[in-house]
Amino acid sequence: MTEKMPVNFTVNGDKEEREAVVGQTLLKFIRDELHLTGAKEGCEIGECGACIVLLDGKPVNSCLILAVELDGKDLVTIEGLSKNGELDRVQKAFIKHAAFQCGYCTPGMILSARALLERKPNPTDEDINQALSGNLCRCGAYQEIREAIKASSEK
Amino acid sequence: MLSYDYIKCADLNLAFQELEEGEQVYPLAGGTDLIVGMRGGKFAAKTLIDIKDVPELNVLKEDDQGITIGAAITLNEVTGFTPVRENVPILAEGCHSVGSYSIRNRATIAGNICNASPAADTAAPLYALDAVINIAGSGGNRSIPIKEFFIGPGKTALNKGELVQSVLIRKPYPKGKGIYLKASRTGSVDLATVGVAVQRWGDQVKIAIGAVAATPVRAFSVEKAVNEAGEKRWADAARLVHEDISPITDLRGSREYRYHMVEVLVRRGLEQTMGV
Amino acid sequence: MAELKIVGTSVSRKDAVEKVTGMAEFIEDRYMGPMLYAKMKKSTVAHGKIKSIDTTRALKHPGVKAVLTGKDYPNLIGLYLIDRSFLAVEKVRFWGEPVAVVAATTEKAAAEAVELIEVEYEELPGVFDPREGMKPDAPLIHEDLANYEIVPIFYPKAGTNIANHFKIRKGDINKGFEEADLIIERDYYVPQMQHVPIETHKAAVQWSPDGKLTVWSTAQSPNVVRQLLSKSLDIPMHKIRVISSYIGGGFGCKAGASIEGLLVPIAQKFPGHIVRIVFTREEDMQGTFTRQALYSKLKTGVRKDRRITSLQYKMIWDGGAYTEYGVNIVRAAGYSSTGAYDIPNVKTDSYCVYTNNSIGGPVRGFGMCEMQWGIERQLEVIARELDMDPLEVRLINGMKKGSSTASGQVVHDLDYDKCLKVVADKIGWGKKESNRNGKYRGKGIAGLVKCPAQPSNAASSAIIRINEDGTAHVMIGATEMGQGMLTAISQIAAETLHIPVDKIDIKVPDTDFTPYEWQSVGSRITYTCGTSVKRAAEDALGQIYRVAADLLETPEEDLSFDGKNIFSTNNSDKKATIREVADSCKKCTGEGIAGPIIGRGSFVPTNMTNLDPETGQGNPGLFYCFGATGVEVEVDPETGVVTVLQLACSIDAGKAVNPQLCTAQLHGGTIMGLSTALYEEVCFDKGIMLNRNFTDYKIATIDNTPHMDSFIIETPETHGPYGARGIGEQPMIGVAPAIANAVCNALGVEFNTFPLTPERVWQAVKDKK
Ligand SMILES: Cc1cc2nc3c(=O)[nH]c(=O)nc-3n(C[C@H](O)[C@H](O)[C@H](O)COP(=O)(O)OP(=O)(O)OC[C@H]3O[C@@H](n4cnc5c(N)ncnc54)[C@H](O)[C@@H]3O)c2cc1C
Ligand code: FES
Ligand code: FES
Repeated sequence: MTEKMPVNFTVNGDKEEREAVVGQTLLKFIRDELHLTGAKEGCEIGECGACIVLLDGKPVNSCLILAVELDGKDLVTIEGLSKNGELDRVQKAFIKHAAFQCGYCTPGMILSARALLERKPNPTDEDINQALSGNLCRCGAYQEIREAIKASSEK
Repeated sequence: MLSYDYIKCADLNLAFQELEEGEQVYPLAGGTDLIVGMRGGKFAAKTLIDIKDVPELNVLKEDDQGITIGAAITLNEVTGFTPVRENVPILAEGCHSVGSYSIRNRATIAGNICNASPAADTAAPLYALDAVINIAGSGGNRSIPIKEFFIGPGKTALNKGELVQSVLIRKPYPKGKGIYLKASRTGSVDLATVGVAVQRWGDQVKIAIGAVAATPVRAFSVEKAVNEAGEKRWADAARLVHEDISPITDLRGSREYRYHMVEVLVRRGLEQTMGV
Repeated sequence: MAELKIVGTSVSRKDAVEKVTGMAEFIEDRYMGPMLYAKMKKSTVAHGKIKSIDTTRALKHPGVKAVLTGKDYPNLIGLYLIDRSFLAVEKVRFWGEPVAVVAATTEKAAAEAVELIEVEYEELPGVFDPREGMKPDAPLIHEDLANYEIVPIFYPKAGTNIANHFKIRKGDINKGFEEADLIIERDYYVPQMQHVPIETHKAAVQWSPDGKLTVWSTAQSPNVVRQLLSKSLDIPMHKIRVISSYIGGGFGCKAGASIEGLLVPIAQKFPGHIVRIVFTREEDMQGTFTRQALYSKLKTGVRKDRRITSLQYKMIWDGGAYTEYGVNIVRAAGYSSTGAYDIPNVKTDSYCVYTNNSIGGPVRGFGMCEMQWGIERQLEVIARELDMDPLEVRLINGMKKGSSTASGQVVHDLDYDKCLKVVADKIGWGKKESNRNGKYRGKGIAGLVKCPAQPSNAASSAIIRINEDGTAHVMIGATEMGQGMLTAISQIAAETLHIPVDKIDIKVPDTDFTPYEWQSVGSRITYTCGTSVKRAAEDALGQIYRVAADLLETPEEDLSFDGKNIFSTNNSDKKATIREVADSCKKCTGEGIAGPIIGRGSFVPTNMTNLDPETGQGNPGLFYCFGATGVEVEVDPETGVVTVLQLACSIDAGKAVNPQLCTAQLHGGTIMGLSTALYEEVCFDKGIMLNRNFTDYKIATIDNTPHMDSFIIETPETHGPYGARGIGEQPMIGVAPAIANAVCNALGVEFNTFPLTPERVWQAVKDKK
């Protein structure tokens, strides 16, 4: 059994050459190997969205992807969203609208929102509901999240 | 962490070989069933063959034959494919009702049907469209209708060494409206309590239902009444559906509720596709 | 009161930037050094004797460092009733109870080794319904109940499964019923639910060779963890350090202490290593507190003039396998058992009964959601029977200034009428919307009240260090799990110190450095910790004035502080910067005046009493917070699908320290309430939890979230800091009954239980036909 395989990828803009253990999920790899702990684990079965990252620009559940599948891909995590210390407008809007409480769902939530705004710069409530229905927030910040996303779309 | 081999495959023949020769070899598409199942102990995979880079499986096209959806195409890609939206929106609805947006960025139609859950949300639309499953294997290629593909919960017509290459929606496309009505506990990201696909074909109708038997089923009794006996009282036609299904009770709903809901949704489906 | 500058404004959250950038540190985000990973072996029967545990194969498994069973580690723990061991000893009492724990160098090795442990059980008959469990011939779950140590405000019945029987005897119940023109009797049932914070329970423990225990935990109260571990393991408190990170949601399930202790004996064997346990979602759902199920019976007497004359309330709670915490929920529900209503004659019996279901425990609302479900549904039935407006029944019987609770405590600071009226107005109360497309419309309203369920001596404290430049560190023991505590507390400190919020640094607790706080539970922190912080700030400010008086040679009374300078109100030349005060040397002489300024404040309630054991009369409430929920629904009678069209919520916050965060709590609690009203129910089959992941146990998504209108009412809490009271749990309480009342209004049916799943609603429609 091949224990480890080489993976070449970019993460938050930087090229990386690493080895990934076969059987390790992308989520564990991001947290334990890349030490990017913004992505969170909440269920390990694709239901909560706390682990969502952008793979080739698309939001995906990193708990359902193998680390070895990262080869050749472009990965963006929450840590890569702000540029030179300047927060992304979605991040700013989340702060302004208090669109989180405990913050555990927030990295996944913001990345899902970011990807939505790429697809639909002016999303409706319905668009937001559809795009974020895979991100559970037990604190129930949903209304504020909708407001934050709409506020960041107006610019 | 589980241990197994991972093979990234760009060559279909290599995949066939692995599937043929290995034990507990699983094709890996989106992984949204496979990884969950492995974590829960449902699958004991020794080898995963990642088929997402196989060129033949990355086909998404419309030609004289119809619409071909390769096994590596994600549900979001299917939903966004104009020929699907224009000609068979019922399939777009089925695909769209699977999981969440991020799940659909990975999940595939092939994976959905190969997982062979009777509740698979793309299945009922595929049944109502008489879709064809293109199967490829070391022994050659074959095509079978979707209704022969599902055999039982978790069981498909695939032989060892075979995989699904693509799903074909044949021309001519149905004339008339089709809709997929899904009942679930929350109406949000949730598995179907029942799923009903009603597709008008000119003055005929095809109806398929998920989560009410060991495989998705066609509502032949209803279809017969409408298509052959010319039944226009949709409520009466819908009542006949009880003969076509044998639901069970589980966490998502009781047997009785499923019987009831199927009848309601078949009636509503008929109203909305065949006219009130 | 002087005009407030900071309290009452919506400053940004203190934790905001960290949380949107992924930098906020949760416990699993810490890189902690040489690690051992722990995994539990869990029981496969709900009630049984452990005949044998064979750990030999597990111990031989590569990577395994230690395997621990209950035999090695029989220590008991518990908050109110010490009835629980870290690992099952001799006997298991619920399905999934930990019977052994393995520590290994990798998570994988630990998980594999768990599979190698062989346990033999002799299954015993189980109790899965507390009503059965109360019967004299029911199998006993805790044979030793009589010998357990207990806080003496709880009343277990030795030789039975009854872990607490709480009584209210107020007025004359029989007289009350005699006066009534109408008597309504109904049974209600509230099923178990799970908190499912998105972060599961986690803990890590390190033992240092000098005998110091360090614990990192997702616990809502580091101080309680320290206290309980100290008692259970006989380690002095100064040798235990409990560190809190941000917590990814608590909602009650992380109150008390439980999992930390599992790891201690292992850590002691491997000094310097960090032994960590991370619960999977399934373990979290099945192995930690669930909301206790409640079977209840209400009998209410009403006069024709719509006054409720008497209430008899019998509650039977499914305490689950251990009730160390649950006994107090049963008590709280008992002493609040008239809900938000003033009822002169009350007889309540609230029983906590052991069963072989998962452990019952606190959940947002602490028994109030369950108990007030019955109250608010019953009012609806009364209104219907009397053919009167449900809002009016509530207004007439609702508590007012001077009303008394079930326990006879008189309430002072409230405007319940207003809470009800604003939500009623918002949803267009009294205006019946016409049914459309075969769907029925209905409106419903429900009120709510809750006080913190805390012991009468639950204390708080705070320390404020003033830096040389006039900035400050606020040190407290409360935890931040999303409620916004760090921000609200900073605002109280800033307001009192007259400095801007951004000059205040505040962090999550570490018991070695931060002062005592009982628990971050019960919606009490704004009040209790807020009071301590206010006192600490006043103390610091007093010191600043004293030093400045000396420095400026001006009487203290003539001094004023504007956040930057301390100056004489008579002579504006006489001023010193806060920095000069903090340095505190006489400028010209160099003669020292005072050292650095450190303010301290502490708080313990003085308005609470124990309750009479026979009548339950006394003052259990630190403060009472009222509110209401109003709902309009549309119901598809064919499918049973309920769509919430309007959702309005109000809460009397006393003073909203941060209106934006206060509103966020209102919304969050309301959504949690909606989720339980429509979707959530833990299903058991003979103690086996069937829906223990997010595929099977569904909670509301953004897609299920209607627009909410929220109203903050501000009837000042006389003794709260700047008039504030806590509101974290309350918004959830009224939602389920309000939705049910609306659905009943739409369909003309009755619901005695929830969630109102499509199937349940369909069934009700069908039964009516
Ligand atoms: C959170 C969540 C929500 C979900 N909600 C829904 C829902 O609402 N409705 C629904 O129907 N499903 C749902 N699913 C299930 C799942 O997403 C779908 O079944 C999905 O379409 C599977 O596709 P996949 O590409 O991920 O398959 P994979 O997981 O990669 O594969 C599934 C199975 O098919 C096999 N396989 C894959 N491709 C092939 C092939 N070409 N030939 C032969 N065998 C193959 C695999 O070996 C495996 O056994 C949900 C899953 C998750 C995690
Ligand atoms: S951890 Fe990946 S979706 Fe929950
Ligand atoms: S902010 Fe706590 S889960 Fe979303």
